[in-house]
Amino acid sequence: MNTYNWLIRREFWENRAIWMMPAVIGAVMILVALFGQVNQVSIPLQLPSQTIGGGFLLAVGGTFFAVMSIYSTWYLLDCLYADRKDRSVLFWKSMPISDTVTVMSKLANALIVIPLVYFAAADLTALVMAFILSVRASSTIGGAMWHADLWLQMQVLWLYVIAASAIWYLPLAAYLLVVSAWAKRAVMLWSILPPIALILVERWFFGTHVIANQLGERLLGIAGLIFRDPEGSAWATTVVDNDTIRTPVSIWGFLNPGGFLSSPETWIGVAAGVALIAAAIQLRRRRSEM
Amino acid sequence: MTALIEARELSKKYGAHLALDRANFSVQTGRIVGLIGPNGAGKTTALRAILGLTAYEGQLQVLGREPLRDRTELMRDASFIADVAVLPAWLRVDHAVDFVAGVHPRFRRDRAVQLLAKTQITGKRRMRELSKGMKTQVHLALTMAIDAKLLVLDEPTLGLDILARSAFYDALVNDYMDETRTILITTHQVEEVENLLTDVLFIDKGRIVLDSSLDDIATRYAAVAVAADRADAARAEKPFFERRMLGKVVLYFEHPDLEKLAGFGEVHTPSVADLFVAKLSGGAE
Repeated sequence: MNTYNWLIRREFWENRAIWMMPAVIGAVMILVALFGQVNQVSIPLQLPSQTIGGGFLLAVGGTFFAVMSIYSTWYLLDCLYADRKDRSVLFWKSMPISDTVTVMSKLANALIVIPLVYFAAADLTALVMAFILSVRASSTIGGAMWHADLWLQMQVLWLYVIAASAIWYLPLAAYLLVVSAWAKRAVMLWSILPPIALILVERWFFGTHVIANQLGERLLGIAGLIFRDPEGSAWATTVVDNDTIRTPVSIWGFLNPGGFLSSPETWIGVAAGVALIAAAIQLRRRRSEM
Repeated sequence: MTALIEARELSKKYGAHLALDRANFSVQTGRIVGLIGPNGAGKTTALRAILGLTAYEGQLQVLGREPLRDRTELMRDASFIADVAVLPAWLRVDHAVDFVAGVHPRFRRDRAVQLLAKTQITGKRRMRELSKGMKTQVHLALTMAIDAKLLVLDEPTLGLDILARSAFYDALVNDYMDETRTILITTHQVEEVENLLTDVLFIDKGRIVLDSSLDDIATRYAAVAVAADRADAARAEKPFFERRMLGKVVLYFEHPDLEKLAGFGEVHTPSVADLFVAKLSGGAE
């Protein structure tokens, strides 16, 4: 465990963007809350205060999560490749740390540690913004900031999405590590080319697009699996300017961990992920240089 | 007693190129062995195989382990500098010490700090801010602070000036080396390490052409400088190599008849550098 600690610390030394990027995003959002025209935000104030407060937390969290997804993807592609490119792999391999532990530390960093850093940054940003908005926008959305139950829901939602994403995206993350451990150059290109080639070959020879569908499902299908529509009393309706707007009352009815964990796609993905991790470890063992 | 490193029929192919061609050698505990060969002879490949950094064919045991399979365990007892300037540019000197102290059970932090204190390098500096020589000093400090049974050095002093080089070799022999340790070293500067080596391995075109202790070299090889007009008589003794030098001919002999040779001129033991040239130019059959 101690070794994992040091390996994660090493990732923070190497990739200062892990904490600098969320810090910058948070700072920009706080600046907007401080100096932006927050009283002119066009939010229909007839909506329940809960909905406005929840929307605010989701907007802040969603922004952080989107940037985090892009950053983690880039990180996974770069991490094993960078060591070989600058030849520092020869230093890391002089330490009594197995290639398995090294690869697992990169994976854990991308799927758990980096998301948790963004989670903390999102929480802190939302908290500071809520303080500022409750003063500066007290006549409009400022009053919707302090629903304790919404804050609790946000914490649960973050942890739920981080955990589910770590499982669902395991095969994609492991695939990126394989490319990172294997490619001699242009990791970005090498990560994209094989799936595109497979999709084209399938289309030319069989006229089908199973791979494209599977890939699309893997990239975007997570939302349909980890959430569900509970119908009925989970939704509140408000009429705003003759439009009926449906908003969730809380997240509780929408989470579907049972459905996610009992879905075969989830576990097929995990199995593929484990195989790809093993491949990445083998490549890391045998490819010390370009 | 079993050898610390034991290689049998060690081979490594890169495509059609044979970097190691059924090389046989062994290294005993307590020795300082120079692995010497021209560029492209297979030195680096041999070291990479010994350190578990590359796959190979044939048999190889290092500290009783198979390097590629057991690299993690091997690295508890072996340390290496496989090339100069491989510390990553973003790494800070103090973080490097913290990291190795954190993950290496045999790292002696006080010793690393003490070695670094002798240099001009401060802890907050990143590798990218250091000169090549300074980076080498940091890497050497980290490596020499590891209590290893086997230390492997590939061109360790490349980029260091003459003073730093000599200080390094002094420290290696006087502070680091003892009878429990073994050092395997490659270098271009054969003259520089000649006095500290106990054994040499000459490697050429992937094959070991000489595996000998320096003591054995003194009894097995002799060179004699002969006046040009007497050279033909001396050639009857079957030298394996000769070179011209200041109007004389220097002839190199293996298993020499010293009494006969003394009749031709002054007999001496060839230096490692001279023997290397002689072996690789003339006697590599």
